[in-house]
Amino acid sequence: MYKGIELTISFWVAMSMSYAFCFSALYAYATLPDHLLDPNNTAQIKATLKLSTVRLVIVSLALIAYPIVLFKFFKYAKYVTVALTSWATTIYIDDYFVLVEIVEYPDSGLISLVQMSRPIIILSLIWMSFELIFRSQTEV
Amino acid sequence: MNEKDTKNLEFATIFGNASNSQSKGKDHIVQSSSFRLIFSFINLYALITIALFFLVKGNLVGGVNTNFLEQGGFLYVLNARAIILLLLLIFLNVSAYYNYGFKYACLVLIVYMLNSAIDNAVLYSGFMHLTDRPYLSAFAITRPLFIISLFWVMIIHKYKFKSD
Repeated sequence: MYKGIELTISFWVAMSMSYAFCFSALYAYATLPDHLLDPNNTAQIKATLKLSTVRLVIVSLALIAYPIVLFKFFKYAKYVTVALTSWATTIYIDDYFVLVEIVEYPDSGLISLVQMSRPIIILSLIWMSFELIFRSQTEV
Repeated sequence: MNEKDTKNLEFATIFGNASNSQSKGKDHIVQSSSFRLIFSFINLYALITIALFFLVKGNLVGGVNTNFLEQGGFLYVLNARAIILLLLLIFLNVSAYYNYGFKYACLVLIVYMLNSAIDNAVLYSGFMHLTDRPYLSAFAITRPLFIISLFWVMIIHKYKFKSD
């Protein structure tokens, strides 16, 4: 049976921000303008859209699975949160330092906004991870 | 119980406690032999991969066509990934040495390896063939083994004494 989880307000705020960001990203890519889907696009944009599709599938799965883990399997929530945080950080580092010559995000209003707010989501996830890790350490 | 057995029991008790208290005094936790074996494999695998990449990049291995590295910025990507892998490996070893946050370090490395595998599969599957890079392909194919090993050490790692 579900028992109430005692987490701080900042955790729930960070989680809400993460969810809001993920839904914005899903919405931005689901409603891409027609000119961005043109087959004559540059190779970089094509590669980016291909990569983004794979990543958004993972994001969708995470959005569904995370509440289940948090409420049903709370013991493992810290590991899932750390994994998601490291993945968000890894793809950010990949896009800006590793795949910088290969990927190019389309110049669309909402996509640019989503790209700009990526550091905020990473910070939110880091906060959530810290809270879950140190909460469990103080409980033992 | 005869006298010999009693002495053996006393020695066993004394030595057993002494070794335990000694390791506790040094704040040193002895990991299982399977942990040490798999952890050595992880280090060896990652170091050989990094070393091999730099050897191929520097044209120091004969019979390897390095032209593929110039395609699609592959050289830059592999270079950056090798450096990040080295940094994460250092982070993993430091956390193992201090016995702090080891499971999280493993998790970060697993996520990084999975993400780079997905990226490579999505971006380079079109024009890269395994036969183009036989030395590096061997490591790309055996990557699941590396990920499974990381997952295994993450599970069997001990933070505390069993008696604590």
